Amino acid sequence: MLKKCMVCIGSLLAVLVCCPLTVFAAEGDVAAKPIPLWLCIPFAGLLFCIAVLPLIRAEWWESHRPLVVIGWSFLFILPFGFLYGAGTALETVLECLINDYLTFIVLLFGLFCVAGNITMEGDLAGSPRVNIILLTIGTLLSSWIGTTGASMLMVRPVIKMNAWRRNRAHILVFFIFLVSNIGGCLTPIGDPPLLMGFSRGIPFFWSLHLLPVMLFNMVVLLFIFYWIDRKRYCRDMARGRKPDISKPGTKIQIRGLHNLIFLAMIVAAVVLSGILPDQPIFRDVEGNIKGIHIFGEVVFSIPALIEIAVILLAAFLSFRTTDPIIRKKNHFTWGAIQEVGILFIGIFITMQPALAILKGMGADLGITQPYQMFWTTGVLSSFLDNTPTYLVFLTTAGATGFSEGLSTALGMVPVKMLMAISCGAVFMGANTYIGNAPNFMVKAIADENGIHMPSFFRYIGWSFMILIPVFLLDTFIFFR
Amino acid sequence: MANKEKNLRELAGRIYNLDEEVYKELGSSLGRVFNGEREHCIEETVRMMNERNQAHILRNELALISNMARTIPDPNCRKRIMSKYNKILREVEDLPTSFIKGDILDQKMAQLNSLHLSNRFAKSDHLIICIGRTYGCGGSEIGFTLADKLKINYYDVEIFDEVLKRLEAERTSVRDRGGYPYQKGGKDNRQYLNEVPAFTPAPRSTLKEKLREFNRYHGLPKKDAVFFNQSDLLCDMAKSEGFVVMGRCADAILTNNRIPHISIFITAPLEKRIERVMEVRGVENEKKARHLLTKLDKEHVKYYKYYTGRRWGKAGNYDLCINSASYGIQGSVDLILRMIKREE
Repeated sequence: MLKKCMVCIGSLLAVLVCCPLTVFAAEGDVAAKPIPLWLCIPFAGLLFCIAVLPLIRAEWWESHRPLVVIGWSFLFILPFGFLYGAGTALETVLECLINDYLTFIVLLFGLFCVAGNITMEGDLAGSPRVNIILLTIGTLLSSWIGTTGASMLMVRPVIKMNAWRRNRAHILVFFIFLVSNIGGCLTPIGDPPLLMGFSRGIPFFWSLHLLPVMLFNMVVLLFIFYWIDRKRYCRDMARGRKPDISKPGTKIQIRGLHNLIFLAMIVAAVVLSGILPDQPIFRDVEGNIKGIHIFGEVVFSIPALIEIAVILLAAFLSFRTTDPIIRKKNHFTWGAIQEVGILFIGIFITMQPALAILKGMGADLGITQPYQMFWTTGVLSSFLDNTPTYLVFLTTAGATGFSEGLSTALGMVPVKMLMAISCGAVFMGANTYIGNAPNFMVKAIADENGIHMPSFFRYIGWSFMILIPVFLLDTFIFFR
Repeated sequence: MANKEKNLRELAGRIYNLDEEVYKELGSSLGRVFNGEREHCIEETVRMMNERNQAHILRNELALISNMARTIPDPNCRKRIMSKYNKILREVEDLPTSFIKGDILDQKMAQLNSLHLSNRFAKSDHLIICIGRTYGCGGSEIGFTLADKLKINYYDVEIFDEVLKRLEAERTSVRDRGGYPYQKGGKDNRQYLNEVPAFTPAPRSTLKEKLREFNRYHGLPKKDAVFFNQSDLLCDMAKSEGFVVMGRCADAILTNNRIPHISIFITAPLEKRIERVMEVRGVENEKKARHLLTKLDKEHVKYYKYYTGRRWGKAGNYDLCINSASYGIQGSVDLILRMIKREE
């Protein structure tokens, strides 16, 4: 198996190295020189390791994960530095670490801590009906506390209620589909790409236009889920599994509820990060966002600093004010956030060439139809960070010169086109574990709690079997 | 390898000698198994021992020898030859290609089967008999009489009543899906308690009632909550007493909980059941009776499949299947009693 994998990687490397295709990047020093496609190999290699190593060398992967991430990161940084100079390489890495990764991981950390301090105890038994209710609540909550917030808040109750069952990985798969992704499309709080759109002049409540699309997807997916879950629920019963319902009546107790205040603090910090950069007080005379100069053109902006400070304060207060017993009851460990933190630092660094190529190519792709926007944004968001992907296509649509539609800072964008870009970026993050941050967090927490989650490829298999047909329906109904 | 071959030849030689000895003692060549030359017969026997698909022939030949040996009039001689035979049989059974290998016995199922008394029915285990039956085949009467004969408890509707108590639920709001429609005024009240026809849809409830039920049944569908409670109750009961339990997927529940029991399925041809239902239950005409039976059978298949994943009435799921029309109620009881060796 390992041999076959190595042959695959080798072939891929050879093809890409020999490939003459190079793409001009859009901005910065890098714009002067074309970015060779082979610089994307470390990104592909890292994804390949994330997908394959847990299957063939699980224990080795567990202990050597940071080494693999460092290895692939250097495999990008060193040739990049050789081609563009050490300064440019350092600037690119710092830019992505400080302005993208830091805010991303701090937000994830904050929500992980706060949600880990809220526990739900009770004897509600996980059945298809209860799971449908939980998934619906989670999906509707996603737009108002963010997909990450809703995922972290809901994942443990879902796991607890279904603890009596053996077949439960599918519940978490649908949880990722709905709560960690699709549910976040209604407001800029829901998913970072929409927040980016909000800061580019799209009205805060414009995303509510996506309600029919979200409801359609939610109903179809819940319908499919019900039948899958019912079948597996019956299989569990047939194997003699049964929940503890010995006492009459259901008692549900939520402890650590005061943490909802800290959750609100984090949501407010996210909203502020979208609003503050446009405020004159945070701009210097040249119109640049004020901040701490780090290196070259890399600046740690004051709004980002405020966001991080507020989130870390919320996490700190949450820990200080919550009884450790609650964390114990939640089986709270640092494993999940550690795993995501390590993997995503590598993903953020190695995906830079792919993003730069995308920025350079976006306008040349000849995308003019909503369905094209939906699929292109979506497919790329499945593997790349959906925020820059969304921005690239929003910029492309804004620059196309449409005369009708919604006026944004990037130009006029037809409503249907904007809906397609937004839905593509938000919905299709569910296609892979790395498509959206909460996906991997949910997987890691589920794995920690004894649920055998599907591997990277098997998860993609679930997406192909369930999500892609639903997205095809979306295309015919909403984006034709 | 050579050693193995030598052992097999030696064993085959002893089988030949045994056959010869039996023949000599009986003084008749009639029924002699090995009629050919010694070497040739031994060669053939060794070949059979080496080939798995020939094992059944060897079994037949050994059976023939033992049948003949049992007819030897001298008891001492018979005992001596049967001892030799038993020794040879044990050695043949130990062969990797023996006919005894690949037994149909499902170890997991067999461990729970209290009929397999010799190696797994502990003294602390109670006699539990699970009876599945089609409506109108006299299964309930057989179960009841059996319990009476064995002096153990009979449970049918009683289980459901206990579950209602556990759930603090009213009888009117929950249907007994695991039981059959009985009428009061039968010959024994214990037997005929369930007035509400099984599988009739529950009356529509208001939103308030639905919310109350959601809370009462832990978010589970009412029927599932009843089933889970029934499961718990059966397992608890099995720890303290022996009993006969009718339906309610008891066989599957006890199997899943690794509790020894005997599972029996009783049925009868549809025409006989129709006759009985018309006579005993007072169903007016044949059409109605046929409709009732077909409907109940279908519902039972669905119910059993939903909770156990098994097919209701499929012979492979039970230790014993009885056509009650062949034995009658008392005959069926006697058959079961004889089987469990607890005849009164």
